[in-house]
Amino acid sequence: MLEISIQTEKDQTTLILKGQVDASNSVELDEAIGELLNKNHKKILVDGSGLEYISSAGLGVFMSYLEDFEEQKVLFLIYGLSEKVINVFHILGLDQLITIKANKEEALQTIHEA
Amino acid sequence: MFKLPNINIGKITLLVTILTWLGMLFVDLLRLFGTINQMNLGIAPEITWSLEIMFFILIYIFISRSLAQNENNNFIHLIWRGASTGLMALGTGLLIQFFYYLLNNTRLSKDPLLANFFYHVNFGMTTIFLISCTLLWKHLILYQKNKNVVQQWQIYEVMLTVSMFFIYFNQNSFDFTFLFGLLFLLIFSIIISVNLKWIPYLTFKDKWKSILFFAIIIISSLGLFLQMLSYSEKGFILVNLTDNLFLLGLFGFVFIYALFSFLVTLFNLPTSSVFEQKLTEAINFQKLSQSIQPGQSESQVLDILMDSCMSAAYVDAAWLEVKDENNHFQILHQRFITNKDRKDIKELLKEKKPFSDYLKNNRQIDLEHIHGPLDHEIFNSALIIPIRVNKELLGNIYLLKEVKNGFNKEMLNIISTFVGQASISLENHRLLNEALRTERYKEELKIAQRVQRSLLPSELHHNGSFNIVGFSEAADEVGGDYYETYQFNEHRFAMIIGDVSGKGTSAAFNMAQMKGIFHSLAQLDLSPKEFLIRANSALSKCLAKNHFITTTYYLLDTDKHEITFSRAGHCPTLYFKSENGKSAYLKADGLGLGIVRSGKFENYLKEKTINYQPGDVLVMYTDGIIEAKDQAGEEFGYDRLREILDISYQKTPNEIKEIIIDEVYSFVGASSLTDDDYSLLVVKFDK
Repeated sequence: MLEISIQTEKDQTTLILKGQVDASNSVELDEAIGELLNKNHKKILVDGSGLEYISSAGLGVFMSYLEDFEEQKVLFLIYGLSEKVINVFHILGLDQLITIKANKEEALQTIHEA
Repeated sequence: MFKLPNINIGKITLLVTILTWLGMLFVDLLRLFGTINQMNLGIAPEITWSLEIMFFILIYIFISRSLAQNENNNFIHLIWRGASTGLMALGTGLLIQFFYYLLNNTRLSKDPLLANFFYHVNFGMTTIFLISCTLLWKHLILYQKNKNVVQQWQIYEVMLTVSMFFIYFNQNSFDFTFLFGLLFLLIFSIIISVNLKWIPYLTFKDKWKSILFFAIIIISSLGLFLQMLSYSEKGFILVNLTDNLFLLGLFGFVFIYALFSFLVTLFNLPTSSVFEQKLTEAINFQKLSQSIQPGQSESQVLDILMDSCMSAAYVDAAWLEVKDENNHFQILHQRFITNKDRKDIKELLKEKKPFSDYLKNNRQIDLEHIHGPLDHEIFNSALIIPIRVNKELLGNIYLLKEVKNGFNKEMLNIISTFVGQASISLENHRLLNEALRTERYKEELKIAQRVQRSLLPSELHHNGSFNIVGFSEAADEVGGDYYETYQFNEHRFAMIIGDVSGKGTSAAFNMAQMKGIFHSLAQLDLSPKEFLIRANSALSKCLAKNHFITTTYYLLDTDKHEITFSRAGHCPTLYFKSENGKSAYLKADGLGLGIVRSGKFENYLKEKTINYQPGDVLVMYTDGIIEAKDQAGEEFGYDRLREILDISYQKTPNEIKEIIIDEVYSFVGASSLTDDDYSLLVVKFDK
C-alpha cells in the first residue's frame, strides 16, 4: 500500500509518501514525480517519514529522474527517512546523488540556502 | 466338440404356429366329418380349445419377438404395421367372399368342410391382426411410462390370459358370466386407452398419416367383427372359435384405442404447430448452450441465436450488427432483407421513439429489448435486442415483422432467454480462449525458467585452498539474481554476485545481459573497479531508464591469500575473520550499475583489498535474504544473518548455506510465498 499526497507552499512542493513502495505501485510514484516535472515545479521535497519500505523498483523511480532534475535545474531532496530506508539508499549509493536530510527543518534550510 | 446348431427361434415359432393351426383345422374337420357321417370319434371340444389357446400364445410370442427385433420403432412405422395387417386380414375375408360369389350356389358353396376351412383361415388372420395391434398399442401406451401405467398394463395382460382360459369354464356358451367378463375387459380397455402421450411428439405431417392409418385399423376391425358375426349367424359352424372372451376383449381394446388415438390426433392437429415450435425452441436453446466448443467461432453462436430468435417470433426479416474495435457497427448476418431496405429502416428507427433513445446513446445497460411500430411500406413492427457480453455491448439484433404489434410477451420472453444463453455461451467461449492463452504463456514461462536456470553455473570454480557453494531461488518463474565464477589460472579466480532491479521477466533479461558482460570482461583480467566501470558503460546502453543492477566483483589470489573487490551498490559482503572470532560486513562505498550513465561513474567506486586466513568465511547474498519478512512484517535484517555466521562458521560451506536458508525460511514462515529472489554464495578458505 502506498499513499501519495501533495502539498504546495509558495514555490515548493512536498510529496508525502506513506506506506511501502514496491514493484506493484512504483508506477504511481513515477507518475506523481513526472507530473510535478511537467508542471514545471522547481523545488520538490519528498516527505519520507511515513515510508516503511522501498524496493529496488522504487529506487529505480528516483534514479530515473536524476538526469531530468539536473537538466531542468530542479532542487530535489528527500527528508524524514527511517534509518532502515536510509540504509537502502546508502547501500545502493543513491545517497551520493540525491540530497537526503534528516528532518523537515534541515530540508527547508537547504532550500533557503540554495 | 459338441456344438449346438444355430436355432432360429423366430422361424421355429412360426413353424410351430402353423402346425398348431393345421392341427386345429384337422381336429375340427375330423369332428365335423364325424358329425356329418354320424360317427362318434370321441374328440372332446377341449382339444380344440387347448389348440386355440396354444395358437394365441404362439402368435403373441412370434409377434412380440418380431417387434423387438425391429429397430425402426417410430410411431408411424408401428401404426402402419397395424394398419397393413388389418388390410391383409380384411382383404383375405373379402377374397373368400368373392370366391363364394363366384361359386354362386353350386354344390361346393354349400360344402361344410370347405366353409369350415375358410372359417379357420379367417380366424387365423383376425387373430394375427388383433394380437399384433394389441402389442403395438402396448408400445404406444408404455411410451414415457411411469410405474402406474406399467402396473395397469400388467393387470390387463393377466386379465387377458385369464380370459383365454375362460372357455373351459363356460363351455363356449354365451351366458351372463361371459357378458360380465366382456364388460369388465372393455371398461379396463377404456381406462388404459387414455395413455396417449406419444401423440404430441408427431409432426404435423405424421399426424395426418396416423389419422389415415387409424381409420384403416378402425375399418378393418369393424369389418372383421361383422364378418365374424356373420359366421356365427350362418350356423354351419360346429366348433365356434370366435365366440371367445379373449378374442372379443381384444376386438374391444383394439377398436377403443384406435378410436381414441384417431380422435385425439385429429383434435391435436390445430395445436401441433405450437408444440413443434416449443420443441424447436428447446432444441435451439440446447444448441446455444452447447455452442461453446473451442473450434466454433463467435459468429456461429450468433448465427444460431439469429435463427432461434427468428423462428421464436415468426419474424419476416432480420439482421445482426456487431461493434468493431472502432465502435462502428458491422453487419454480420442479414436475412430476407435487401441492403437498401435495411439502411432505410435503420434511418427510420433512428428518428423514431422508443428506438431513437437507445440507438443514439448505447448507455442503457439494463435494457433487454425495445419494440414498437414502424412506418415502412413492408414492415410494420420492429424489435431491437442488444447482445451483451460481460456488460459490454457486443451488437444488436434487429427483427422485423410485416404485421403490426407483431411481438407479444411470450416471444419477448423466449427471445430474452435465447439472448441470455447466447451471452453466456460467448462469455464462456472467450474465457476458454483466454484460459488457453494463459496456459500457453505458462508453458513459455516454464521454458524461460529452464533457460534461466541454465544461466546460473552448476559448478563453481575453486582449487584446493577454498571451497564455494551457491544457491538461488526466484520469487516468480524467472528471477533477476546472478552469480558466477571465473578461473584465470591455478591460483587466480574472479567471483561475481548481482541483483537486477525489479523481478520477473524483465529482471531475467537484464540478468542474462549481465552474464554476457561478465564473460566478456572477465577474460580481460581487469581490476574490480575497472571491471565495474566497463560493465556500467556497457549496461548504460541497454538498461531501461529506471533499471539498475547491483553487483560486487571479487578477485581472489590463493597464492597471495588476497581478496580484492569493488562494490557497485550491492549488499555489503559478510566476512568471518577467524582471527577475531566474529564476522562483520565489509564496508566500501559504491554505486549501482546503470544509475549514473556517464564518465562520472568511476568517482563513486572504491576498491578494497583484504588478506584472508584459513578458517575465514566469505558470504555473498542478495537483498532478498535481508528483506525477507516474517508474518508481523519484520525484516530478517543484517544482524540475524551475521549472528548465524558467528555460530556456524566452523561448519562446511554447504552446511553454512543450508543453515542460513533454513533460518530464513523458518523466519518467513512455511506458509507464505517468497516475494523476492534469494541468492547465496558461501566461500570458506581452508589453507
